[in-house]
Amino acid sequence: MASPSTDITALVHEPIDPVALEGCVRGNADGAIVIFDGFVRDHSKNRRTLYLEYEAYEPMALAKIQEIAAHLHSQFSIHRVAMVHRLGRLEIGETSVCIAVSAAHRAAAFDACRYAIDTLKRTVPIWKKEYFEDGFVWADGELPPVPSATSAVKPAS
Amino acid sequence: MPSVSQSVRVKVLFFGRLKEIAGRTQESIDLPAEADIESLFAHYASHYPELQQYRSSLVASCNQEFASWNTLLHTGDEVAFLPPVSGG
Repeated sequence: MASPSTDITALVHEPIDPVALEGCVRGNADGAIVIFDGFVRDHSKNRRTLYLEYEAYEPMALAKIQEIAAHLHSQFSIHRVAMVHRLGRLEIGETSVCIAVSAAHRAAAFDACRYAIDTLKRTVPIWKKEYFEDGFVWADGELPPVPSATSAVKPAS
Repeated sequence: MPSVSQSVRVKVLFFGRLKEIAGRTQESIDLPAEADIESLFAHYASHYPELQQYRSSLVASCNQEFASWNTLLHTGDEVAFLPPVSGG
């Protein structure tokens, strides 16, 4: 079984090629690959979208993506993971996030891929700004879970 | 022991609409010893009152991990105020 060191995790400013990512996770021990290709829609809440801009807290976002990839290996019977998110300006139809998961059997690949995109959207510090003909909005997002106050870091002494 | 005026120096990062309100992406700031993330946010909210309305819809991080608001700060810490995330 492939180790997580063969995973691909990245934040990029260039176009993402989902077909190339599929090739990166494909191996002869696999029988299934599930790919999530998230791309820019031409509308949002009945408004016509012109383009999007994504920004990230880059080192933390990459670390969180890597945590998700590692978690997939511990929770699902999968082989390889590729998780790539694009930043900067994206035009309609361009891929913003692509996740590819390979496994011997389809169920694990489906489950892991679904878990990966759901967790990314909830916990990775990336923000989307939607531009319309008459202005822009920061997209509604989700608040990541945070440690409770009782687990606060104690002062160094 | 005589009280010694100590301060801590932390790096603060702003993202999304917070960056636009604060008009900056990051800065370093000196805080009183025993300052926590909540008091750091209060400092900025006093300078930029528009920030206050977002307090309940933010999370904070310290050294690139999500952190509770009562996390005490130390020199060299990197704190960020994070709006609801919307990647994907």
